[in-house]
Amino acid sequence: MLSRNVRIAEYMKQANRRIKPTQEGIVFALAVILFVAFAICLHGFMTSGNIVALIRSVSILGMLGLGMGLVVIGRGIDLAMIATMVVAVSWAFSLAQAGMNFGCALLIGAGFVILVGCINGILVAVAEVPAIFTTLAVGLVVYGVGRAYFFKIDVQNVPDNAGAFSDIGVGHLFGVPMPIIAFAVLALIVWLLLRWTRFGRFVYAMGDNLPAARVTGIPVPQLIIAQYIVSGLIAYAAGLVMAASVASMSTRIYNSTMIYDVLLVVVLGGVSLSGGRGHVRSILVGTLLVGVLLDGMTIMNVTYTEQNLVKSIVLLLALVADSLINPRDEQTAQQQQGDI
Amino acid sequence: MTKVLELRQATKAFRGVPAIRNIDFDVEAGEVHALVGENGAGKSTLTKVLAGVYQLTSGEMLLDGAPVVVSSPSEAKRQGIAMVFQETNLVPSMTVAQNIYLGEEKMFNRLRRLYIQAQRFLLSLNFHVDPMALVSSLGAAKKQMVEIARAVHHEARLIIFDEPTATLTPEEKFHFFGLVRRLKARGVSIIFITHALEEVLALSDRITILRDGELVITGKTVDFDRERIVQSMVGRTLSHELYDLGKPRLRRPYGERVLSVQNLSMGSIVRNTSFSLYSGQVTGFFGLVGAGRTETMKIVSGVLKRDYFHGGSIEREGRAVQYETPRSAMMDGIVYITEDRKIEGFFETMSIAENIYMGRLARGFNPLSVISMAQAKGLAEAWTAKLGVRAIDANAKIIELSGGNQQKVVIAKAAVQEPRIIIFDEPTRGVDVGAIAEIHRFINEIADRGIAVVVISSYLPEILALSDRILVARQGRVVEELDASVATEERIMYAAVH
Repeated sequence: MLSRNVRIAEYMKQANRRIKPTQEGIVFALAVILFVAFAICLHGFMTSGNIVALIRSVSILGMLGLGMGLVVIGRGIDLAMIATMVVAVSWAFSLAQAGMNFGCALLIGAGFVILVGCINGILVAVAEVPAIFTTLAVGLVVYGVGRAYFFKIDVQNVPDNAGAFSDIGVGHLFGVPMPIIAFAVLALIVWLLLRWTRFGRFVYAMGDNLPAARVTGIPVPQLIIAQYIVSGLIAYAAGLVMAASVASMSTRIYNSTMIYDVLLVVVLGGVSLSGGRGHVRSILVGTLLVGVLLDGMTIMNVTYTEQNLVKSIVLLLALVADSLINPRDEQTAQQQQGDI
Repeated sequence: MTKVLELRQATKAFRGVPAIRNIDFDVEAGEVHALVGENGAGKSTLTKVLAGVYQLTSGEMLLDGAPVVVSSPSEAKRQGIAMVFQETNLVPSMTVAQNIYLGEEKMFNRLRRLYIQAQRFLLSLNFHVDPMALVSSLGAAKKQMVEIARAVHHEARLIIFDEPTATLTPEEKFHFFGLVRRLKARGVSIIFITHALEEVLALSDRITILRDGELVITGKTVDFDRERIVQSMVGRTLSHELYDLGKPRLRRPYGERVLSVQNLSMGSIVRNTSFSLYSGQVTGFFGLVGAGRTETMKIVSGVLKRDYFHGGSIEREGRAVQYETPRSAMMDGIVYITEDRKIEGFFETMSIAENIYMGRLARGFNPLSVISMAQAKGLAEAWTAKLGVRAIDANAKIIELSGGNQQKVVIAKAAVQEPRIIIFDEPTRGVDVGAIAEIHRFINEIADRGIAVVVISSYLPEILALSDRILVARQGRVVEELDASVATEERIMYAAVH
């Protein structure tokens, strides 16, 4: 009798969990509501041209969000993503312009990205500098090194010997613009990586409880280094798509608010900064809401500054929601000082 | 003698489970009162009630004969009761004088006057501490002096010490004793908790012994000797039924020596300890607070960071090893199951199946190999059945389970790694009675299968019920090795106290 009651109570608990709205669900609902509202109220929103433009404009952001999301799930953060992207792509372009084979130049860029990822990872895992400061500082260093030694002008055009490279920016496949295809493919890869490989499960375990992951025998330092390399490579890929679609890479992007937009996309969808929580789905949903919001505001002629204000308020709200939903209790705080 | 403080029928329960039960306790003016008992006997709870950290569930507290309710530590301070914890509550970056007068600063402080005032005050207590020294530069004993000075400054009439000598060197201990005697001469009453029986006998006027939350005896120190104290600490009747004690039990023979530790050291916590582990038997590891049991085993299993390794050697089946991460120990067949499952045990966002499967995944190398949900499900079903995990199914989130079931999952997560040596650190802490029996059954089962099992426990009946061989640690060193056939609670406790 007693055990039956217990069973019913536990069943109710489970049922509750299923019904309880998730952050993802709320954000998705918001995006749909906003979409419908814009479609009804705004002239020109619901045209197929605009919808494609919408997805296209956020696909770069979404790609960067996938990389950032992976690191955040592993209880880290990579603020060096934009710097890595900008410098690696610009360097590759300037090498190719100087006469190097374009493929070689791209490989050198990728090598640079891996090096930066290693430095980030080693500083975080071995020297135990908090990730937020490590990657902030490494980003500054990377940008500084790039501007000082790798290239002199701040806009690098796609080199002449790039061949069909521009197609990944402006081409179409079955009528769908290539950046969207690239975003979709990357989302699929990251989903497979996180959901179905040992690496992905380790990232979740490490983000959930770092000391427990260590005691369980997960190779935590190697994993941290690997996750920063992966996020760097994703940033590099996003940078190449971006450069291909506008035929150049501007290093000024580093000084824009882009890294905060990436964080917004990640946190908004429900990838918790406390680690271990969130999916590729969350990032897609976050990207969708940000995309609808930005597109609607642009059609309404909201100024750039005001758009930034709106974005920052949404980011603030998302952060508050995150810390309300995933509170840091005393024990999580103790886990935080995980020794490696 | 007048009674400064008195407890009548004091009971404090946590979620309905009493930590102390019906205790009648009193402290007289200017006496040194020692509080003795095993880990978990209720000493800390009792003193925390006095210091206002906890409130009594029932019973009353009298101060100078009048009933009082001490609702907070600051209220206790106002009433003249101060508690000095093991780890001090001083601000390390401030000077001694600033720490003593902390919270009384005026808008404009003249430091010079503060220092002169502090110097006079410290001298009046006969404490030789430089008031201008930074607290961070002081040793443990001097820090304690500062803490005491602060208590006296706040006109404490009753000072409670929790394990005051555990971190002190012999010389510092000597200073500390002098200090306690001086305080006593000033009419201050002192309660101190300690495991060091010599200190109890040398320093105290009266002794109170607690066991399982109840008061066993209070009496004048002159009426006690070591044997009588030890006997009162352990003489237990209730627990015998739960743990099947008293029944003759088959002892397992020694297997091969799978691990031998020689002169292992780590700072002042593990001092030159040596012992061996054998396959196919359960080695109980007993010790009181400060015995360094957890740290010793964490070094052996690579859980402590490598920079804490201060010497000695570990041999695993004849090979010299030094594990720098838990992973290398795990790959070599040694796993450690934590005493604190929430902090370094399970993954709270994951299900039972995912937690157990994570143990198996961690044994592998290739990061890109595809995980198998079928394997996860199979493992989970086999192990939840083996350990009797009670949940709707293996997909239930671990955070929704009871403490006992969580512990079983954490054990399963380690057991799927196919270790040859399993170290259980307090395997039944915060676990209900039914789960205790199942965990004990499992421990016996794996030992029968030839695995070397270590059980660290602070609870003697558990040690006696499980072990084939018992190691007793004291102050960072294994000091006694007993065969289960000759071990009694008294003998173990006698070795553990000092």
